[in-house]
Amino acid sequence: MKKIAKHNIIAVLKAWAKDHTVIAPQRKDHDEIAFDTFDEASFTLEYTKSSVSPKQALFPQNEVIFRIEDGTYRQVTDEKKRLLFGIRPCDMKALLQSRDFMSKDFKDVYYEARAQGAATVVMACAGPQSPTCFCTTTRSGPWSDAGYDLQLTDLGDSFLVEIGSAKGEALASSELFSPIDDAEAGRLLAPLRKEAEERIPLVPQVLEVMEKLKLSGVPDDAWEYFGNKCINCGGCSFVCPTCTCFNIFDRVVSEGNGERIRSWDSCLYAGFTKEASGHNPRGTQGLRIKRRHEHKLLYHNDRKTHGAVSTCVGCGRCSDYCPVHIGTIEVAKHLTEKKS
Amino acid sequence: MGDSCTNKYEPFPVVISRTLPQIGEHRLFQLKIEDGRSWEEFGHQPGQFVEVSIFGKGEAPISISSPPTRPDYLEICVRKTGKITDALFEMGKGSRLHIRGPYGRGFPVDELKGHKLLLVAGGLGLAPLRSLLLYVLDRREEFKDLILMYGTNNPDNVLFKYELLSFFDRDDIKYYYSVDRDQEGIWKQYVGLVTGLFDHATLSVEDTKAVLCGPPIMYRFVMEKLLKLGFPKDNIYMSLERMMKCGVGKCGHCAIGEKYCCIDGPVFNYTEVEHIKEAI
Ligand code: SF4
Ligand code: FES
Repeated sequence: MKKIAKHNIIAVLKAWAKDHTVIAPQRKDHDEIAFDTFDEASFTLEYTKSSVSPKQALFPQNEVIFRIEDGTYRQVTDEKKRLLFGIRPCDMKALLQSRDFMSKDFKDVYYEARAQGAATVVMACAGPQSPTCFCTTTRSGPWSDAGYDLQLTDLGDSFLVEIGSAKGEALASSELFSPIDDAEAGRLLAPLRKEAEERIPLVPQVLEVMEKLKLSGVPDDAWEYFGNKCINCGGCSFVCPTCTCFNIFDRVVSEGNGERIRSWDSCLYAGFTKEASGHNPRGTQGLRIKRRHEHKLLYHNDRKTHGAVSTCVGCGRCSDYCPVHIGTIEVAKHLTEKKS
Repeated sequence: MGDSCTNKYEPFPVVISRTLPQIGEHRLFQLKIEDGRSWEEFGHQPGQFVEVSIFGKGEAPISISSPPTRPDYLEICVRKTGKITDALFEMGKGSRLHIRGPYGRGFPVDELKGHKLLLVAGGLGLAPLRSLLLYVLDRREEFKDLILMYGTNNPDNVLFKYELLSFFDRDDIKYYYSVDRDQEGIWKQYVGLVTGLFDHATLSVEDTKAVLCGPPIMYRFVMEKLLKLGFPKDNIYMSLERMMKCGVGKCGHCAIGEKYCCIDGPVFNYTEVEHIKEAI
């Protein structure tokens, strides 16, 4: 393992930025944290989690997939080498899940082009965490066990650096990183991990509801309770690190010229499943809420979970941002409290 | 095209070689590959679909209506229902458009071979089922008895009318046609729901595989009939319709429970979907 002094982080990021597009936590207007291109002026190490997950670094909200010239389609892929700095273990887990999903059966060339060269530097969650974090329940944090290139742990005035891959080895090869004896590093890590794991509250209802969905399902009227509250904003899907559904549409510039674009979509929208015939197999908002939660908490076989218990990685963003409180935590609590 | 193309989202140019008007807002489009090659290397199977791409309008999933046994053309039967199909209806012979595919798991032709077949179609469901029907007729000796049941709402809405009429001259297919209503009294065959045809057909359950294709409501009633007749569940196949945006299992629009209709289907064995509440 290695160590790096905190005051050297900027220098390291600048060095990495020479041959990577570095994406790092940036403090934006209204104190919002977003993963964006590294800019020293707004870069911050004081954050719990970003509002929107860093999935957008590999799967942008809108992206041009073809440029169409005189009726001919030209593929547009973005092969810029990215380095994702400071992503949280839950988001790392989500990234691993999404990458598997995007490359299985048919390879999604757009996602792969970005993911292939991407490096990941995880910031372990020694604390403080945000009150909606429940990664100890979903087993996706507060430390990453695999998948990262580097993982940093805050030791106060320095970071402990775990090396997870050959790529990570190369990233931490400069003289700004100093070696540290593995046994000593282990001694430093163990109490921090234990303390964080104990501090993050378990949400047993999430596991209970998973069991319930598997064994008996939940009656539709329980979903309709949430369906009636939902304002169909789609925000839950957009902030979610494992949501990857998309829409495809064209933007015309002139006759035969323009772009084919794909953009984030949400299963909470009524039109998401509506067929050309007008028939909608998921005709009510309750059924759409059901879909979202069954996908996150019941169906794992379409995504390898990389050691998490579900495709929900416990980041708590849906609970943070849903304007009418239909986050995974609230849903799990409600569905397990009610006698049904 | 096919496996040689690594980007599954990339459409290739085709030309409309013929359009055949069908009933009302339906039309059959015959497509040729732009450079005149045969569709053989496209590798489509009965029951698969393509994404039709019209730049500026977007893409729409359309089932393939012609069998791979007729590789000179690819036929798609289209109902005019939105932006993309509206644009398609503006196009005529010689117009150029793009498609990508073939996508999905079609009818399990190999499992059907050597068996008796009962094909049940409702409404526009005949469009995908026709690819199997013609396949079986083209390779008739590979299959046993063939029964076709087709129901639609009224005599004006019979798809592929001339083809259906041409079966009158054949003795290697038994056909039963129905219309729900016949206000003008011109229909010479059964009037009533497609399920009523079961009372008129001589069916042997043994060794028969049933293949259904139609609107969701039809599945419910036809399933009931089949199960009552004693069809084993795993001898029943159905093609499900969903909003298929990407066709390659990524966009999520077509998800049915844990399955993705565009890659796990659209054709499913009944046992694969009976437990999924939103499937049928
Ligand atoms: S964030 Fe809340 S209100 Fe918005 S779509 Fe999701 S569940 Fe519905
Ligand atoms: S159509 Fe996109 S996942 Fe099936």
